[in-house]
Amino acid sequence: MRRGLGWLALAAFLAWCTWIVSPDLGRLAAGLPRLARWLAGAFPPDFSGPGDLARRASETVAIATLGTAAAAIAALPLAVLGARPVAPWPVLYHPVRALLDTLRGVDGFVFALILVAAVGLGPFAGMLGVALHSTGSIAKLWSEALEAAELSPVEAALSAGASRAQAAAVVLLPETLPQTASAVLYVWEFNIRASTVLGVVGAGGLGQELKNAVDLLDFARVLAILIIIVAMVLVADRLSGALRRALL
Amino acid sequence: MRRQERVDGLARHGLGEGLVVEGLSVSLGGRAVLSGVALSVAPGEVLAIEGESGAGKTTLLRAAAGLVPHSGRVRSGGARPAMVFQHHALARRLSARDNVLVGALGRIGFLRSALRLWPSGELALAAECLGRVGLSAMAGRRADTLSGGQRQRVAIARALMQRAPVLLADEPVASLDPANAAAVLGLLRDLARGGLAVVVSLHQPELAHRHADRRLRLEDGRVVA
Repeated sequence: MRRGLGWLALAAFLAWCTWIVSPDLGRLAAGLPRLARWLAGAFPPDFSGPGDLARRASETVAIATLGTAAAAIAALPLAVLGARPVAPWPVLYHPVRALLDTLRGVDGFVFALILVAAVGLGPFAGMLGVALHSTGSIAKLWSEALEAAELSPVEAALSAGASRAQAAAVVLLPETLPQTASAVLYVWEFNIRASTVLGVVGAGGLGQELKNAVDLLDFARVLAILIIIVAMVLVADRLSGALRRALL
Repeated sequence: MRRQERVDGLARHGLGEGLVVEGLSVSLGGRAVLSGVALSVAPGEVLAIEGESGAGKTTLLRAAAGLVPHSGRVRSGGARPAMVFQHHALARRLSARDNVLVGALGRIGFLRSALRLWPSGELALAAECLGRVGLSAMAGRRADTLSGGQRQRVAIARALMQRAPVLLADEPVASLDPANAAAVLGLLRDLARGGLAVVVSLHQPELAHRHADRRLRLEDGRVVA
């Protein structure tokens, strides 16, 4: 009975979503030949002006890397404040968790959109957007790693007279290094992907080049940029995976 | 010889009344786990707490160390007793030396300890404590690369690092083979001879008989012998 109600609720939810999105197979059918034409026109990909492409790709990597690094620094105190076993001021636990959920809840793209208006066009706004969103993600992953860690060494430190902050810094952080470093690498890898579209809102990187090419219906250029994006993501993925394995 | 004297000097640091426990009671979840336990251990003495699993041995030691809320009185010469935990409770990724230095955190400021800027005096003391437990050569080894017996010795060195007059050891040989168990208990006995008051919980009566000066038996949270 309960299972039946569950299926019914799921079906109703899907129906509601369908009503909102109004999928139209006719429009898809009409659009497919256009897509095929664009795809055919995309070959060979246009890698002209390699200097520009390299500069935009570098911006993307720099936005992701610096944004992740800044987020990791900001996340450290927040993760400790938001990890129940070591939180030095338990009264701050829920407010900190709420802050982390808020930061995670707003995409870096949205932060970048707002920050472009505040600090101007360019990769700096993108980096700040990435940093804000990633601070929430990294701190949440770290606080979960801290909460899941073996706590007996922490108890031993506390019984020896250590403060909770000392126990966290001296014992718990090194103990959870594989998990915490892995979380940063995972977020960095995600940010490389996410940073490729930040240029769409004027926040620098390959997205800027991508938007220009799409606006001009220059699909050979679009394909070249997509190939670079996929290559960057694959390299970041392999590098991050190798580093994570080395840390274990 | 000089090193030995300095560590034994640490053990004598709190020479005085040793450990005195009076009317110690602990309730967990509304259930009485310890009821009116009284005991005393003089400096230089090893007291073994015997009892089956669930008799209250661990709770007694944890209450004496101030790790669980309790009623009654615990006096230990004005200093917090040092505790050796059942499963050593070492930080696996830290070196033996850094694990020992954890015992000094109560004396070191946050920034220095967080940045691993250990005071030279504490570094020297950690080296001495490791020497006292026979692990000088292992100082730089990560805890998770040490054997069970070596880890328990590092845990004892960490407790020594606290410079406490009372050392509480909770089933320190529960996971060790007989040779290592005898070595660890012999070490605790030597430390007592140096001036520490040592309380060790054991569930093997033969070990308690061989290594302790006095024995006390717990059943259902009460002292029965």
